[in-house]
Formats: sequence, C-alpha cells, structure tokens
Amino acid sequence: MFLTPETIALSLLNFLIAIFATIAFINGIKIVLYYDKEGTSAYQYNLERVSYLIATIIKFIFYVKIPLFIFFIYTLDTLSNLLPGAMCAAGVVTATVYGTPLLFLKILNLYVFAFWIVLNNEDMKYEDQPYLKSKFWLYLAAYPLLIAEIVLEGITFNALDLSHVVDCCGAIFSTTSQTYMAYVLSISPSILLGIFYGVFLLMILFYFLKNRYIFALLNIIFVIISLITLIAFFGTYIYEQPMHHCPFCLLQKDYNYIGYLLYIVLFIGTFFGFVIGLIDFKREQLQRYFHISLLYNTIYVGVVSLYPLIYFYKNGVWL
Amino acid sequence: MIRLENVSKIYDENIKALQDINLTFKEGELIVLKGVSGSGKSTILSLIAGLSKPTRGEVIVDGKKISKLPDHFASSYRRDNIGIVFQRYNLIPTLSVTENVLLPLFPLNLPRDEMNLKAQKVLKQFSIDHKAGVIVKNLSGGEQQRVAIARANINNPKIILADEPTANLDEKLSLEFIEILAEMKSHNRTIVVATHDPLFFDLDIVDRMITIEHGKML
Repeated sequence: MFLTPETIALSLLNFLIAIFATIAFINGIKIVLYYDKEGTSAYQYNLERVSYLIATIIKFIFYVKIPLFIFFIYTLDTLSNLLPGAMCAAGVVTATVYGTPLLFLKILNLYVFAFWIVLNNEDMKYEDQPYLKSKFWLYLAAYPLLIAEIVLEGITFNALDLSHVVDCCGAIFSTTSQTYMAYVLSISPSILLGIFYGVFLLMILFYFLKNRYIFALLNIIFVIISLITLIAFFGTYIYEQPMHHCPFCLLQKDYNYIGYLLYIVLFIGTFFGFVIGLIDFKREQLQRYFHISLLYNTIYVGVVSLYPLIYFYKNGVWL
Repeated sequence: MIRLENVSKIYDENIKALQDINLTFKEGELIVLKGVSGSGKSTILSLIAGLSKPTRGEVIVDGKKISKLPDHFASSYRRDNIGIVFQRYNLIPTLSVTENVLLPLFPLNLPRDEMNLKAQKVLKQFSIDHKAGVIVKNLSGGEQQRVAIARANINNPKIILADEPTANLDEKLSLEFIEILAEMKSHNRTIVVATHDPLFFDLDIVDRMITIEHGKML
C-alpha cells in the first residue's frame, strides 16, 4: 500500500466514517421499521431522539465525504508523481482494475450524498418531518455504496505497484486505441457541440417555463455531455494541444488548476438542477434552486467556451 | 388550552417523576401545582415548556403536540408562547437589568428601537424601570425576581410558568409577587405555579389547586 500522508489521511478518515456510518445504518433500520409519527410510547420517543442524533451523524459524514472527493482527486494527482509512467491522476486511476469503477462510484455517491443532505434540510424545516422515513430509506440504500467506496478505495491504494509501469493519459485517452473512449473521441466535434449547446439552450428554455421535471432531466444529460465535450473538445483548447484529451491534467498547476473550478461548478449546477425534479420544494426554494442551477451551468458553459475563443483570437485558427 | 394525556416521565435509574398524569388547563386559568420537593411539579412545567419530552403520553398546547416537536421547533414554540420564572431567577448576573430582559428578543431580529421600547414597557409594568441600567448581581432578591418576571413577559407569552417563585423571597416580597400574578391573570394569561409555599393555598385568584405526590395526582 502507498503510505503517503494523503493516503494515510484518507484511510483514517474512511475508517472513522465506516464506524459511524455502520452505527447509523443499524439505527436507520430500526427507524424505518418502527418509527410511528403518531406514536406516544416510550420506544417512539426514544426513536425520535435517536433519529435526530443519527440524522446529525449522517449529515456530518456526508459533509465530510463531499469535499473529501476533491482531496481524493488531489491525492491521485500527487500519487502520479510516484508511479512510473503516470503523468497525472489518469495513470493512477487506470493503474489497477479497481480505479475506474472507484471513480465512477465516487461520482455517483457525490450526487447521492448531496441529495441526502438536501432531503434532510428539507425534512428539518417542518414540524412533522415529512421526509423522515424517506431520508432514512435513502440512507439505507446509500450505506452499501458508501462502504463499497471505502473498501474499493482501500483496495485501490493497496493494489498500486511501484514496480509496475502504467499508461500515461496520452495512451488512455488516445483516439487510436480500441476503447469506448476512442469511440467517443472519434465522434465529430460539431455533433458533440451541437448536443452540448442544444441541451444548454433547452435548459434555459425550461428554466423560464419552470418545468422542473424536464429541467432535471436536461441536467442529467448536461453532466454527461459536458464531460464528453470537455474530454473530446474543450480540453484540447485548455491544453492547446489537439491530441491531449485528458480530464485529469486540468487539475494540475500547469493549467491553473482550472479542472477544480470546472468540476465543482458543473457539480453544483447539475446537482441543483437534478434535485428539483425529485423533491417537491416550496415555491421560493424551488426558484432559488432553479437560479443556482442555471447560474452555475452558465458559468461552466461560459468558462469552457472561452478557451476556444481565446485560442482562435490569439492564433487565428481552430485546433 | 393545555392538555397532558397519560403522561409519564421516567428519568435515568428508573426514577418515576410522573406516572399517567391527565391534566387540562383552560385559557386564563391560574393553577397551583402543590407538592413536596421531588413530587414531580417541576417536571410538569418543563413538559409544558417543551424543555423535556415525556417518556410516554402526550402534551398538547393549543392543539399543537408539543411533546412531538423536534428540538429546534420546541425552542421556537417556547420563545413565542411561554414565559418562565425560575426559582433561582436564572438571570445573567454580569448583565444589566435591561440586557437581561432583552435576551429573549435577540433571536427575533427586531429593530433595536423596538426592542428597547418593549423592554421599557415591561420594566415599567413590573416596577423595576428605575433599575434599568443596574447590573443584576447588585440587585436584591425581590428586585431580581421582578427582572425575571419582566423577562418572562417581554414576548407577551400566552402561558406563564413559575417554578417555586417565592422560595427565595420573604413574606412581604412573596405577597408582592402574588400581586404581580394577579395582574398577569387580569391580562388573560394562563399561569401555572409549582410551589409548596402555603401562601398560595388560600388565594382567591387561584382557580384550581392540584396536589402532586410521588409523580401522581391526588
């Protein structure tokens, strides 16, 4: 196992989180099975106290896990300096068979954990806690994902081998390899950009029409097409190299850590767009989430669009 | 207005503070809960105030199930509806009379002028306005009592709960406190006093006397 300060910190935190998450899971089962809103028995009053405590524990676990994702990405980037062949986090992710599933699981969990936090906040706003059971059901579903992530993270760090030469991002995101990624990269940029800007325009339309379900659906599509276009098109302008398609090098100092800004903005924009399709918020809150979503998605579109325009302005040609 | 239905409260080590209590207090009533120390009187007050929850049963105030409220809602309920006069006054000794009285208003984010106006009014109502700027630790027991009453009334609560309010007062000051109770009752406040002071037992202003013994109503 790689024992760097970053991996030790992550492992210790994961260990603590797993303990508290398991305590929360055991109590969560009791709450979904026996909680009776109208009950006045001693057991029910005890469950009410427990539910408050356990919801607080879960909230703090997720409050820690969400920013920890950024630290995880940063850790991958620092580990790339130690692995022979790796030029960025991409080499570390693909160094073992566990890396890619771990990354996808972490992205999925990011949305699940953030959704739980929003659901909990909404639940706590009302005296009768209308989402109490729903949020604990969601936690019971999220717990296996959380534990799988922790286990997979440990396995990934453990499986990294200093003596093994790994691929650099140039090979992983190559247009000539026989991978799904190569297939995606071979799609015409005009088609990808058409979908990207088309979905964004539709989002603006449904923002004004205030149709929360279609707006949420568009946000799901938007996060996927944004990542694809970032790898296939916009990234090349950030790197100013037509064959450089890595989504991880963006996180490095050479590119002003622009990846952190892009990914955080994209996450916030799409998350709030996605969540309004799932929870029936009060009008004022719904409006706020519509605004946040469109604002952050617009910032994302603006920033990524700026790179090709600046490149064209400076060089007079497209890549 | 206030209903306790089959309420029991059991503290740690199986101390049964209340057992199957059923009580109803009507709006504007002044009720005295009578009983020796440890009989469960204060527990009833803390349940009505939403400071604690029953082990079993239900506390309902104005149709709202207080005992089912999450803690942060119980705090809001208490702030908006309840004034409490504690045996030891629970004032902050290093703050002035006005600052102590203003404390319940701070979470409401009212304009400062409005807060000061309310404080002046309530200090005058309970005849402690001449000590407005005095630090509380320099006041006598009776004066501190008045400050505590003024603080309990500043939000204009519907319910006043007093827990052994005369335990630290001499007879003269206790009688003054009873006069204040009469005045509050005239404003249609529902008042519940937990006491074992015999001064309360023969008062005309008291609508009902309830005796509590070993956590049960007699």
